Amino acid sequence: MPPVRLSNQLLGTLRATSLRPAAAWRQRCNYHSHEHTQPPPFLPAESAILSAAIAHVPHYGFTVDALKLGARDAGYLDVSTNILPRGVFDLVNYHLVTQRLALKDTVQFPSGGEQGKRLGLGGKVRTLALARLRANEPVIHRLQEALAIMAQPSYVSPSLAELARLADEIWYLAGDKSVDSSWYTKRAALSAIYSATEVFMTQDTSKDFADTEQFLDARLEDNMKVGGFLGALSEWADYTAHSAVNVLRSKGLRV
Amino acid sequence: MNAQSTRVLAPRQLLAAGKRSAGRAPQRCFSCSTRCRQGQQQTEIPRKDPRDGAGTTHFGFETVAEALKEQKVGAVFSSVASSYDTMNDLMSLGIHRLWKDHFVRNLNPGRNPLTSSSSEQKGWNILDIAGGTGDIAFRMLDHASTINNDAHTKVTVADINPDMLAEGRKRALETPYAPSPRLSFVEANAEKLDMIPDSSIDLYTVAFGIRNFTHKDVALREAYRVLKPGGVFACLEFSKVNNTLFEAVYKRWSFSAIPLIGQVVAGDRDSYQYLVESIERFPSQTGFRDMIKEAGFLVPGKGWEDLTGGIAAIHKGVKPT
Repeated sequence: MPPVRLSNQLLGTLRATSLRPAAAWRQRCNYHSHEHTQPPPFLPAESAILSAAIAHVPHYGFTVDALKLGARDAGYLDVSTNILPRGVFDLVNYHLVTQRLALKDTVQFPSGGEQGKRLGLGGKVRTLALARLRANEPVIHRLQEALAIMAQPSYVSPSLAELARLADEIWYLAGDKSVDSSWYTKRAALSAIYSATEVFMTQDTSKDFADTEQFLDARLEDNMKVGGFLGALSEWADYTAHSAVNVLRSKGLRV
Repeated sequence: MNAQSTRVLAPRQLLAAGKRSAGRAPQRCFSCSTRCRQGQQQTEIPRKDPRDGAGTTHFGFETVAEALKEQKVGAVFSSVASSYDTMNDLMSLGIHRLWKDHFVRNLNPGRNPLTSSSSEQKGWNILDIAGGTGDIAFRMLDHASTINNDAHTKVTVADINPDMLAEGRKRALETPYAPSPRLSFVEANAEKLDMIPDSSIDLYTVAFGIRNFTHKDVALREAYRVLKPGGVFACLEFSKVNNTLFEAVYKRWSFSAIPLIGQVVAGDRDSYQYLVESIERFPSQTGFRDMIKEAGFLVPGKGWEDLTGGIAAIHKGVKPT
């Protein structure tokens, strides 16, 4: 039967042509950023000045003076600080970005080891958040200055974006693989908890920041409770709604 | 066509009136204007060496011989020097003062003696190009003295126009800096700063001046030469408005109101017609940013900061170490 064969042939060629772009498309979709080296977040001249300036922060704070001293240390002039378009905020931002990127090197979870098994997703998030908070220790007496600068109207939005990137980094390093709406709620909850703990930390006078650790644990626990309650509530609402619909159906209503 | 030719005529009359510019080289001026007329037929051709002086450039919306532009600009500024400040206030509704204040505050000139050891060089060495009336220079010195407690920062004001410099010298007498060695005035062309040694300047500023230069690229390279490694080139200049609606209003204001104000207040319509035309001809933010990059500077961030929706913009460049 020639027509059948013809149609089969047609189908075959169609399938062949449609397969190739699909494969290429799938390959493109398999791009994972962690498999590729990322460009450095700062230009060489910027990072030379900023890395030298951050050493002056414990003494001079997040100020123009620290920037100028850093520029001098790096072999630049006072005036060279003009390479930083946002001035002091760039110094704050440098601290935030470098500490965020340092997380993946400072915190390691042995894969498959006993510890790795014992530490759940929540435990890993706690360890990572704590590690990031401890990275503030050298500048903790100046952190309120940094928070004040971040709260300036023009810097609020880049600061919040950096907070979101930190929350994402922590969940990513903890090994979170959620692909549902909890991807958003997890990051939002962690952002809120982290920023609250950081503000608490600026006033913490306890030895080795024991109070901060306790505060973080309490907030994470709150989050679990609230999350559990919301989960139970939605389950109850779902069950009730279904029952109501079924009752109506038993009465002969077409729903 | 008729209107344009009268506009060409008017600055030439002005030029003849000014003794200095007319006395300089009347012959060359004449020969150039014939060449200019030939040049008008062809549109702008990119040139390899822009300093040989035989090509054409734009003077507002007119096309003139390159050798002539300097004189024409000189005539414009000689005629506006005395009413410069009043006119700036009227044209920008006073906003130019805010721009200049912001420009200087952001550059934060001066070295605080509290954070520097005594062995190091004291103060900054600032070169203010096209700063004849001293607007930027006085602000720089005020900022250095009052904000950074720095009594050593020096400003050299350079301008090609002796009338503008005379205006600046006159105004300097009202400031505490006139007798001090911190302020000096030099008559110089920004494209040939022979009196300034290589790598000697911390900060090179040019506020509302670079638009009038015949060869902006040559001036940028000269800035690169005189700056120390790590030194900063900072430019405050009119630029392109971002918002279409605002641009319509701004264009209406600049092409109708400003020449009129010039005519009424300063009695000189043509100079202010040139002003708005030269603003229109100046490259956009990205274009000028690329010119700064081409001269070898590092550009901070995106390279510029818009002021008042892009009417003016601050461009900066840092000479790499």
